[in-house]
Amino acid sequence: MSFSDETLMAYADGELDAATRAQIEAALATDADLAQRIARQRQLRARLQAAFEPVLDEPLPPRLLESAQRFPGAGRADNVVPLRRTPAPRWSWSQWGAMAASLLLGVLAAALLLAPTGGPIITRHGEMLAGGTLARALTAQLASRQPPDAPVQIGVSFRARSGLYCRSFVLRDKAALAGLACRDQGAWRVQMLAAAAAAAPAGTGAYRSATSALPPQLAHAIDELIAGEPLDAQTEAAARERGWTP
Amino acid sequence: MDATDDDLRRQLLELLPRLRRFARALARNMHDADDLVQVALERALTRSAQLHAGAPLAPWMFGIVRNAWTDELRSRGRRARLFAPAEAGEQAVDASAGPHTEVLAVQEALARLPAEQRSAVALVLIEGLSYKEAAYIMDVPVGTLTSRLARGREALQAMLDETTGAQR
Repeated sequence: MSFSDETLMAYADGELDAATRAQIEAALATDADLAQRIARQRQLRARLQAAFEPVLDEPLPPRLLESAQRFPGAGRADNVVPLRRTPAPRWSWSQWGAMAASLLLGVLAAALLLAPTGGPIITRHGEMLAGGTLARALTAQLASRQPPDAPVQIGVSFRARSGLYCRSFVLRDKAALAGLACRDQGAWRVQMLAAAAAAAPAGTGAYRSATSALPPQLAHAIDELIAGEPLDAQTEAAARERGWTP
Repeated sequence: MDATDDDLRRQLLELLPRLRRFARALARNMHDADDLVQVALERALTRSAQLHAGAPLAPWMFGIVRNAWTDELRSRGRRARLFAPAEAGEQAVDASAGPHTEVLAVQEALARLPAEQRSAVALVLIEGLSYKEAAYIMDVPVGTLTSRLARGREALQAMLDETTGAQR
């Protein structure tokens, strides 16, 4: 009895019906050529599997982990949208141009640095730290209970993957500036500054409205840094009690 | 927090190594393959409503990866189909030189297969799916799947016999 290659292939793949399988197995006892043809099919499968098996053990690229965990899901537009679920802006520093970014930052920082001492941003050893009203607000002000007319509005407070506490803020005095600062070794280190799209509207819901007023690059930076969910009113208050130490 | 959304993300994470392997079998180049996986993840999360509750995730995801790849081939148009095999051919190696070059020889041979045969081979022989599952993913009848698989196998066998011919 002769079998087509396709039949032998199906046999090697375990896809044959019982009757044909039995015929092949009966023929195998006496047909060395048949056995060899099947062995070749199996060998090919083994070679293919061996060639691609190592991919399973490769470390997963961070960008894929990021997409799987954070890319916004569908059909949630009607919900209250937590920060992590806001549509990830297709913005990146590289696309936008590192030069443009640093230029913007330079201009913003210069404007602040020209302010008298005690301004909201100070530099020390080339690093931007929160000072004055900003430092006080970052340390003491709770996003859930801030006066609508406070000069600094706290946006989101969260725990970064590094373990540090970070908070986004909007400075509402002269220029509307938004930024992100993390508490590290007793100081609020300013991670980034950007022009705020619009001042967060006063009134109820300051937490969420401040979040939605975040410039996209800032939201993106938070997305990159955040571990888990933003702090809620309770965990925010607890973090303040501990002086924002991890 | 949406429980099903979290559940989907958890399952996607578990599936990631296999999605990467499948994409690698299709696209060969690691960066291109991971691009496909990323596109597929984002499409899946955007279209999760299309996945019926309780339906297995893996076939659906393999299908999305494969569609992303087909889209990519289409957008690259003739160029990819005409030049990729020639470029790959320059890296052809003698499989007798060791296990590493054996891997390259197999990948090289697979990359030379026409797209539909490569999909069939990757799904059945590398991912170990059944004919029925592979046919569903490729959106073709099982008969079409098996004939593509048979032709793909035959071509691979011929190419690999050539590279390992000296040993036989």
